[in-house]
Amino acid sequence: MKILLIEDEKELSSAIQSYLTKENYLCETALTYQSAIEKINLYQYDCVIVDITLPDGNGLNIIRELKEEHIDTGIVIISAKNSLDDKIEGLDIGADDYLTKPFHLSELNARIKSIIRRRNFGGTNEIILNEIRIVPEQMQVFINEEEIVLTKKEFDLLMFFLSNKNRVLTKESIAEHLWGEEMDMADSYDFIYTHIKNLRKKMLEKGGHDYIQTIYGMGYKFLTS
Amino acid sequence: MNLLTRSSINYIFFSVVAFVFGGIIFYHVIKTIFYRQIDETLKTEKQLIEGQIDYSDTLPDFRQVFSHMIEVTVFNSPKKKFEFIKDTALYDKSMDKLVPVRQLICENTSIQDQGYIISISKPLAETTHLIRTIVGALILLFFSLTGLLIFVNYFISKSIWVPFNKTLENLRNFDISKDAPLALTATRIHEFRLLNKTLDRMAKQMRRDYVNLKEFNENASHEIQTPLAIIKSKLELLIQGEGLDEDQIGLINSVYEAAARMSRLNQGLLLISKIDNNQFHQTEVVDLQKIMERTLEHFEEIINLKKIRIIHHFNAPACPQMNRTLAEILVSNLVSNSIRHNIEEGEIRITMDSNGFEITNTGHPITIPPNDLFRRFRKSDRTSDSVGLGLAIVSKIVQLYQFDIKYEVKENIHSIKLNILTMGKQDFSGTDELT
Repeated sequence: MKILLIEDEKELSSAIQSYLTKENYLCETALTYQSAIEKINLYQYDCVIVDITLPDGNGLNIIRELKEEHIDTGIVIISAKNSLDDKIEGLDIGADDYLTKPFHLSELNARIKSIIRRRNFGGTNEIILNEIRIVPEQMQVFINEEEIVLTKKEFDLLMFFLSNKNRVLTKESIAEHLWGEEMDMADSYDFIYTHIKNLRKKMLEKGGHDYIQTIYGMGYKFLTS
Repeated sequence: MNLLTRSSINYIFFSVVAFVFGGIIFYHVIKTIFYRQIDETLKTEKQLIEGQIDYSDTLPDFRQVFSHMIEVTVFNSPKKKFEFIKDTALYDKSMDKLVPVRQLICENTSIQDQGYIISISKPLAETTHLIRTIVGALILLFFSLTGLLIFVNYFISKSIWVPFNKTLENLRNFDISKDAPLALTATRIHEFRLLNKTLDRMAKQMRRDYVNLKEFNENASHEIQTPLAIIKSKLELLIQGEGLDEDQIGLINSVYEAAARMSRLNQGLLLISKIDNNQFHQTEVVDLQKIMERTLEHFEEIINLKKIRIIHHFNAPACPQMNRTLAEILVSNLVSNSIRHNIEEGEIRITMDSNGFEITNTGHPITIPPNDLFRRFRKSDRTSDSVGLGLAIVSKIVQLYQFDIKYEVKENIHSIKLNILTMGKQDFSGTDELT
């Protein structure tokens, strides 16, 4: 999987690159509008992450150019401006998702995974991990070919874990993933705990492994190894 | 009381005071003049009578000479020379009543050593009548003159204050958040020109400061996003590192939480400044009932986990003309507020009709006046983890669309009532023009 990251902030760019590289993506970076245009004309990427406020140009133009050449490339916009107009325009011209800075790397990773999944398999893909089989479109989860019934939030939680396997997921990033940014509730962390407890119980009941590990004070980790 | 009424009232008051005093003085002056004349006449007559007495020792037949009462009493013994004039009343036979008179009484001794008393009385009726007529005419003159002056003064003042009133009207309509100039009308009066000039300068300065401040807020919030993004992402990478001990994780966690909090805070402030900047200018008719139902669904698990009972009566959907995103934020903030500050096994009651909705929830007593909670960073519980912007954002949205919101607390029952049908309703259909 090849990903191009277009982000003018060096430190942020290197952090994202480092996170994505660990996910076994081949992640290239472009720090300017000019170098981004050059790269998309030379190479083909599965997914492009674009910051739309670049010092020497508008990221939206990169998306337009990209869409002319490679219609299949997934596009995620990252922007410091949480502007509805930008979001609508970006999605209108072919971007798949829009993330506002500051975001969690795990969230970005989950969004990229979701885009690649949708694009590569035309929406009929399944995710298989050992005894777990997931049909994302139907929101179905099977353990040892036995279906377990999850609530929407439990399903979202499982998908988020699977997108970020073997990574520490902080309580904040999970809360934001499940309830959105406006969820300004300290006690929502208790609810995460309850959700995780229920999810774990449902999976164990059908003979699944205990994948979810608690990292004290920090969050959780979906351990596959 | 407006300026004109005030000045007219003052005018009338001082005119009346001046007239009362002036009238009294005038009356006395006139009276003195008339009395002096009467007294002169009385003295002249007395001298004539005395002259005749001294000259011929007889009394003249006064009735033919003078038209008033004269009495002369003669004594055998001499009288000491003595004379005085006084006001008194005498019985008038023809009119059968007492009439006021001016009376001169003079005691003296004649050449023949006979004492006599001369008493001359002059009726005052005519003089009094004359004085009354003069004073009456004067009162009439005064009132018509004062009336005319007040009338004239009223209209002169009115036309003089026109530029001032216009300026006042302009000031009242001045809205610092809108880019409309103060547009003060030109005037020839120096003071008003100076006033307008000063006001204009102040308005421009205020507007400049306001815009600067707004821009600063916005820029600061924007610029903070990037370093925050870096902090958050680097911390996330750090967390992934192997071999961290518990202390280190604790430290990282504290930093991470602080960064997350700052990021929430910043986003709240950005949202407020965006509402201020009218960046949510697209409006449509929004069904608040649908949004409310979706919001409740969104928070369903949290509501269940906290064992909160939801009772709702949707009589009719409230459908204001507003921006959809803001409507969602408004409802979501109010609902999440009622969940967050609720108690275990509490209750949330939602009623809605076409006028708006009311959310009532059980909770804890609060330490500050309920309406203070609509201000930024005001929290009833200082230790709470929330950033304290939720209701400030609600209040901004409410202000933008001129809705009416009330927060009441009665014995642990909190209730927030939103009324979307307020006087400003007609106005916000035109909010698109403001962009």
